[in-house]
Amino acid sequence: MAKVLGKPIKRKEDPKLITGHGQFTDDIKLPGMLFAAMKRSGLAHAKIKTINTDQALNHPGVVAVYTGKDVQDKIKPIRSIWLVPGCDLIPKDRVPLAVDKVNYAGEAVAMVIAESRYVARDALDLIEVEYEELPAVVHQEAALAESAPIIYEDVPQNIAFTWKAGEVPEEVFANAEVVVNQRLVEQRVIANPMETRGAVAQYNPGSGDLTIWCTTQNPHIHRMTYADALGVAETKLRIIAPDMGGGFGAKIAVYTEEAVVALAAMELKQPVKWIEDRQEHFLATSHARDQVITTELAGTKDGKILAVRAKNIANLGAYLSTMGAGVPTIDFGLMITGAYDIPHAAAETIGVYTNTTPTDAYRGAGKPEASFQIERIINLYADKIGMDPIEVRKKNLVAKVPYTNAMGCNYDSGDYHGTLDKALETIDYAALRKEQEDARNNGRLLGIGISTYVELCGLGPSKVAGAIGLGGGLWENSTIRVHPSGKVTVFTGASPHGQGEGTTFAQVVAEKFGIPVEDIELVSGDTLMISMGWGTYGSRTTPVAGGALAIAADRIVEKAKLIAAHELEVTVDDLDFSDGVFSVKGQPEKQRTFKEIAWSANNAWNLPDGMEPALEGQCFFDPPDFVYPFGAHICVVEVDPDTGVVELKRYVSVDDVGRIINPMIVEGQVHGGLAQGIGQALWEQSVYSDKGQLLSGTFMDYTMPKAKFFPKFESSFVESPSPVNQLGAKGVGETGTTAAPSAIVNAVMDALAPFGVKDLEMPLTPEKVWRAIHDGRKG
Amino acid sequence: MNIEYTYSFKLPRNVVWKYIQDRQVLRSALPGCQSFEERSDGVYLAEMGLNVGPIKGLFTTEVKQTNQIPPSSYRLIVRGKGKPGEVDATADMFIKEAGDGAQVTCVADVQVTGVLASVGQRVMGGVAKIILSQFFKAAEKEMKKEMNRV
Repeated sequence: MAKVLGKPIKRKEDPKLITGHGQFTDDIKLPGMLFAAMKRSGLAHAKIKTINTDQALNHPGVVAVYTGKDVQDKIKPIRSIWLVPGCDLIPKDRVPLAVDKVNYAGEAVAMVIAESRYVARDALDLIEVEYEELPAVVHQEAALAESAPIIYEDVPQNIAFTWKAGEVPEEVFANAEVVVNQRLVEQRVIANPMETRGAVAQYNPGSGDLTIWCTTQNPHIHRMTYADALGVAETKLRIIAPDMGGGFGAKIAVYTEEAVVALAAMELKQPVKWIEDRQEHFLATSHARDQVITTELAGTKDGKILAVRAKNIANLGAYLSTMGAGVPTIDFGLMITGAYDIPHAAAETIGVYTNTTPTDAYRGAGKPEASFQIERIINLYADKIGMDPIEVRKKNLVAKVPYTNAMGCNYDSGDYHGTLDKALETIDYAALRKEQEDARNNGRLLGIGISTYVELCGLGPSKVAGAIGLGGGLWENSTIRVHPSGKVTVFTGASPHGQGEGTTFAQVVAEKFGIPVEDIELVSGDTLMISMGWGTYGSRTTPVAGGALAIAADRIVEKAKLIAAHELEVTVDDLDFSDGVFSVKGQPEKQRTFKEIAWSANNAWNLPDGMEPALEGQCFFDPPDFVYPFGAHICVVEVDPDTGVVELKRYVSVDDVGRIINPMIVEGQVHGGLAQGIGQALWEQSVYSDKGQLLSGTFMDYTMPKAKFFPKFESSFVESPSPVNQLGAKGVGETGTTAAPSAIVNAVMDALAPFGVKDLEMPLTPEKVWRAIHDGRKG
Repeated sequence: MNIEYTYSFKLPRNVVWKYIQDRQVLRSALPGCQSFEERSDGVYLAEMGLNVGPIKGLFTTEVKQTNQIPPSSYRLIVRGKGKPGEVDATADMFIKEAGDGAQVTCVADVQVTGVLASVGQRVMGGVAKIILSQFFKAAEKEMKKEMNRV
């Protein structure tokens, strides 16, 4: 049988999805099901004086209306899971429905339950809420001002925490030949998966079992949180994540609506469904990034970086979301030195509450921000000392792995210089600079941008999770069940939702057992089917759950070999195992197939003495460390001087994501990440008015990237297996969003260099670019 | 959000001044006006049915006219509430002579909430201009009617 590991086989998941046979949360229809709709605040900051629900309750078809007061004694606030230690964090939990006060526009204040979705929606308009408007604060720097409105009386200056890591001796900056300093803005963005959030809750009053189907990346964390919030035993609560139309980090957070829907299902003893519409999604599903980062770099005149320090003022929104505190601190701060050997580093993050939608993880979570600031400041440094940005990178890139950065992170494997060289060769850098010069002489604005990024993922060792205040573990669980027919079901605690592990995991098992990929099915996203697990985020599924899978598979092969040896009346040392066949060394005709052993093991008619029946293997794998995918991305843009439009002409990515199981899926992950990263650089932005009204609340106002915006991505890979898991996988989901924003901005700044433009804030919209050119021409 | 709109009346300035704040003219000219009454404190209460793009529904509106400087300017303070959201506006109306006629310029600062903000903001400027143009056209017609009656 041909080897399947490393082969670009088509995704097993896709036929169902592309023929309309997926089962998404909204496809779940239960007898007697009721429908929920949320009444949301139109104001960003206001006291709730009264809520009158009489008219809504009298509306035909309305079954119940819940307000904050109705549920406050029945559901506890939804707690953040990541309480970062050592930073005086004041967590502000989301309450199920606002009671006395709303803190952002879009916060739910009441819920209608009705016989149809339309009636529920109509009845929202019959709820009268009387507010007393309070002054709102939207921007995190404004929220720190002495005169700023205070959102919580016990949070002075709206500061949720001040976090610090690392140290740079003062003389390093004082004595440095060159110091560069830049304020960089990671604008607020909104993840827009094709499928919005939603939940269906069903309660069995006889048994007390509660099932919630919902759009989640981490069902077991949801079970843990909702069990506590609703006062339901974990043994009575089942969370199922059915097919999902993407998550991108926005479905990591544990929200309140799902809990309120579950309460209604329990009280009304009828199933209840709630599906978020797109406009609600813009308002009420977590936003991301929104960090103002001031980075300072000290270096020599000849291009050696001595130290970097970054101060990050992070907008947390109105409440502390599930991973809200960890993203701008741990995820960001530990990686601020990027892929460079920089001896000294210090990071400081101030987390700030504002009257905006809470922020949380978004593809890359903290690492794209860390990468952006170092990749931008290094270019500004190169510019200041008059050196090519490639040369500066070559002088400072990590030379030898394993390498421990200034914050203590252990970069695991790979050739950082070789990867850069490959990218330079692919794009033909020397020729490109020549082309740029010729273009400039003809009045055309070509720009070349580079990003040599590294990111921390494969989350991660559980003892680290404990040390950084994450209220959970980060190990993973994979169980392999071999059925009597030799077909295999794999169960994993990670909860892939579009990343293709149904295929890559099947490839791993197929390779281990020598059976066809078609014989292997993956089960995930169901807390009843899977004992425990921590979910899919932080590019952890293949490195961690896949790592568990490989070990579990080995355990099964070991047992199967004992059975085969027993049946063939030889010792295990006399056996070879390849392509699904156990054969006696020197007597290949004496053999047993894996399938035959599956039958024997499950029937248990003739097993070695003392052996337990069945063929099932499990592994709870806690990785010894994180994984560090890295790479070099180079792109070419052309800016139209008359319109400011940025055209992306080429994009070359060379990534080392460790061992590749399915190159087609890996490439797809890179391309998706690039689209999202380039989207942030050029088009996407969540905009609020000064009074806290979300102005970018539709796809007409919030620019989602489209296929036609992009050239054909030229992606290639270098494979250096990570030593921290058996597969050697490093994770690939977040490389694009980590590398692309700085590559693009660096390219546009390069294009605009003739106008003396040093920095522009993302997104680089035509208007912003045109104004910069215009101002450059004037002065 | 700031909105500025200018309309030219083919009527003399003093006529425009006289009628543009007239109850009867307002009641007839306000787009989709379903009820109109004057409260004792001089505040008008109007219900207007609007249907322009995403801005759809019945708006309950309080309008106060202040700062009258005859015949050249006055200020409207508007608070509107409807299903799509709330509107808070301060509009300064400037009336000046222009040839045989009069030119009215409305300079308004408008704050909106809810769907009006997140969906409507983009089209708000355009919608406001449509509504204002409808209003002024209708007002001119009403003014002519009123003049004939006199």
